[in-house]
Parts: sequence; structure tokens; C-alpha cells
Amino acid sequence: MIEVNHLTKRYGTNTALNDVSFSIEKGTIVGFLGPNGAGKSTTMNIITGYLSASSGTVTVGGFDILDEANEAKKLIGYLPEFPPLYADMTVREYLDFMYGLKKVKLPKEKHIKEICRLVKIENVYNRLIANLSKGYKQRVGIAQALLGNPPVLILDEPTVGLDPKQIIEIRNLIKTLGRNHTIILSSHILPEVQAVCERILIINNGTLVADGTPDGLSHDLSNDHSLIIRVDGPENEVLHAIKAMDHVVDVHSFGEKEPSVYEFAVEGEPNTDIRRDLFALMTRNGWPLLAMRNTDLTLEDVFLRLTSGAQGSFPKKGRK
Amino acid sequence: MFAIFKREFKSYFSSPIGYVVLAVLLFLFGFFFYQILLYRISDLIASSVYGSMFTMCMMVIPIITMKSLSEDKKNKTDQALITAPVGVTSIVFGKFLAAFCVYAIAMVLTLIPSFIISLFSELSWGPVIGNVVGTLLYGAAMISIGVFISSLTESQVIAAISTFGVSILMIVIGSAGSIVNNSVVTQIVNWISFNTRYQSFTTGIFNISSVVYFLSVVAIFVFLTARKIESRRWS
Repeated sequence: MIEVNHLTKRYGTNTALNDVSFSIEKGTIVGFLGPNGAGKSTTMNIITGYLSASSGTVTVGGFDILDEANEAKKLIGYLPEFPPLYADMTVREYLDFMYGLKKVKLPKEKHIKEICRLVKIENVYNRLIANLSKGYKQRVGIAQALLGNPPVLILDEPTVGLDPKQIIEIRNLIKTLGRNHTIILSSHILPEVQAVCERILIINNGTLVADGTPDGLSHDLSNDHSLIIRVDGPENEVLHAIKAMDHVVDVHSFGEKEPSVYEFAVEGEPNTDIRRDLFALMTRNGWPLLAMRNTDLTLEDVFLRLTSGAQGSFPKKGRK
Repeated sequence: MFAIFKREFKSYFSSPIGYVVLAVLLFLFGFFFYQILLYRISDLIASSVYGSMFTMCMMVIPIITMKSLSEDKKNKTDQALITAPVGVTSIVFGKFLAAFCVYAIAMVLTLIPSFIISLFSELSWGPVIGNVVGTLLYGAAMISIGVFISSLTESQVIAAISTFGVSILMIVIGSAGSIVNNSVVTQIVNWISFNTRYQSFTTGIFNISSVVYFLSVVAIFVFLTARKIESRRWS
């Protein structure tokens, strides 16, 4: 549905995007992650035809965003970072205007009513946009993007400014829409992306650093399969005993967590499972093993690792 | 294009701008008209009243056009316009048309006093209509320049002052032409000058070349504005 090929965008000498390529199939919800200034909004602005790339091409539904701009733009509903609202209009006038601007052919009254119901702005329908709260403005922005029921939705931080209840509602709405729409959404809120998106693109300093499913990313990047254990036993002896085990690369103590209970991080060799041996070791020595868990990377860890500069140590998979 | 025109035109009247522009223009027109009536020379009505209005229009047009595109850029509403399936030229033309209609309403309403006079005495409609057509054409050209200038900046004040400066320049350039002792320069300057072009209408002469001139200015500046907006994508 969306093809992005070798997109590069330069502002003077500053490169905002550097050779970004990806393609998105119909009916997927893609999360776009990255720190501030990474190039998320720039990418979205290029896909929607607001900006032009310095080089590279974008096609939406087979239409080039530059050469067949109107055909491509008809397929896209766009919520920019700042909702493009006219403060001097009422919600009703504004949606009427956007309906005309987008040349929507659906039955007007019914369609607009339906969208207002979906994003829950019926009660402010006749109010001036200038007087609406941030959350309502955001929702009017979402409503505007939904006008004409476009097959592609591009939402730049759709839940900013909403209260927790609204966030959940909008997330559910996006999930529902995702069944028959192609959606790209950017967000800073990682659990949100994890909850809603089927695929995640992480962008940092204008380059795509990861591309995969939320679980896949955590898995690929957790190449240091270490364990956290809690043992009821003497700290130093336990430490030495574990160090002496086969396949153990490193171990260190986190100190006493409960009376006479110590916590340790045990790092095994890659592709080995040391859990059984650990258990056996503890039983042999009469040190009750109270807890054991994997240090699987959360999406947050993945994000921080990929975007905090220490990139060399990560698998090349999914990188462009 | 119609959606944009409708929105823009409405926005002039959802804020005081539209009303103030109309009120000020009509008040001044009424004042000049009354003044001329006191002289009791009806032949002068058209040329002298509209002659004075020419200066007033020059001052009011920058106010009409100043927010045309600058506000969209500032409030980021241009994102909605540019990502919509409409061409840039129709966006600009819609904006231009809305500003022009506000101005045109004022100009058409100035016909009311003349109409009332015509009920009681014999009025030569030729110069009156000529003047209205002239101011409309002059206004269209000036508004297209104003819209272009508002596309260059995010600040309404800068847009207004620059447009004002240009409109004054287009008038004084005519007098500069008469000072220069070079027939070619004089001819070129007179050809460009809005004032000289406008003068032919005040006597009731419908000069085709002037009509074409003003309409060409509109076309050129609508075109330039569209290119300017498109160029933002590449910056």
C-alpha cells in the first residue's frame, strides 16, 4: 500500500532523513518510534506530500505522491503533529470545510455524524474550535483525518493531550480501524505502540535502525540471555559456586533484598540454558532458590538501546 | 477551490475584518460623495469621488490580504490544504477570490449613492461604471500582489506593510515617469503604472489593453504565489 524508497531529506547541510526505505502492506498498523528530531514527522510529511524528499520516491496505493499527487492524496487521511484546525470555525463548519476540500463523495450529513460519534465529539459539534480543550482539538484532528474513509491513515502522535480514558478509546478506535485500513502512527508512548501496532519501525538520526514485530524486536536484541535469581544463602559462597558452573560467563550480586536473601544476575553463554543446572546447584547446597526470571528486553529497552548511540553491538537484522 | 473560497470568505466575516473594511470604505466614500454634492457639480461625482477612493482602497487592500496565506503558515493549517487532493493553484486562487469578493462587495455598494442621485437627477452612468470597473480591476491586481506577499511571510504585519509599500510604489512610479527625461523610460513606466492604467477608466473609457494588463497581473501573481507555496516543500 505504501512504498518508501531510498528517502533522503536535507535541510541545507543538515540531513534529516538518510536513505530510508520500507514498504507497508494493506491492513497493517505500523508504529513509528524514535526520539525527538529523529525524522518521524519529516517522513510522515513526505509520505503525505506536504514536503518533498531531496531524493527517493514514495508511492501510495500505486500512485506517486509527486507525479499523481491528487490520486495519492485522496487515499490518505493525515493527522499532523499539530492538528490543522481553524480556530475561527465551529467543529461543524470545520468538518464541512474539510469534507469539501477533500472532495468526499459519501453522504455528507450521515458521514460526518458517524465520524463525530466514533471520536466522541458530538457534544462540542457546534462550539468554536478556539474554545476547545487540547484533547478535543486532537479529536477533531482525528475526525478530520477520517473524513472520506481513506484507506491509508497517517497519524502523528494521535493520543497527545488526551486523558487516560480517551487514550484507551482512541487506541481501540485505531485497532478497529486497523482491520480495513493501513495505518502509520508515531508515538512516544511505548506501551501504546506495543498494544496497537503489528509492526514497529524505529528511526534514529534519520536512519531506520529497526523494523519488525514488537516481540521479534525484543527477542532479536536480547542476545545476552541472562537470568535474575534470588537465593536464600550466604552471598559470597553462592557467588563462587555459580561462577564455578559450566556455561556461565558472568555473575554479580545485587545485594540483600530480603533478610538473608540475595539477588544475583547470571549471564550464560549464548544459546545455552543454565536454568536446570542452577536449580540443581542450589538444591545440592541447601540454598532455597526463591525466584528466577529472564531479563527479556522490554520494548523500552530496545528503544533506548537502539537510539542511545551504542549501536554497534546489535544484530544487523532488519536494518537498512 | 470552492471549499477554500467559501471558508476564506466566511472567515472575513467571522472576524471583524470584513465588517471594518466595508464600513471604513463606505464611510469614506459617503464622505467624499457628500463633499462633492456640496459643490453641486454632478459632472465631477464619478472622477473626483472615485479618484479619492483610489487612495483609500490602496490603504485597505493590505488589510484584506495580510492574513490570506501568512496565517495558514503560522497556524500550520497549510498542512491540511496542501495534503488535500487539490492543486496549489486552486488553493491560491480560492484565497485570492475570497479577498477580492470582500473588496468587490464594498465597491459595488458604492453604487448605492449614485443610484439614489440618479432617481432625482440625470446622472451620466458611463464614468461611474467606468470608475467601478477600474477600481475592481486595480483592486484585483493589487490583491493578487497582496496575496503573494502574504505567502512570503508568517507575520501579518510584515505582509500588510510590504503590500502597502508596493501599492504606493505602483502609484508614485507614474509621477517618476514624468520627471525622467527619456521617452523610452517614461513609456515603460507609464505602461507599468497602475495609476495611469486606472486613469483611463475614470473618464468612462473602457480600455481593453488596461483590462488585459490588470488581469495579467492577477494571473502572474497567482502563478507566483502557487510556485512560492510549492517551493516550501523543497526548502
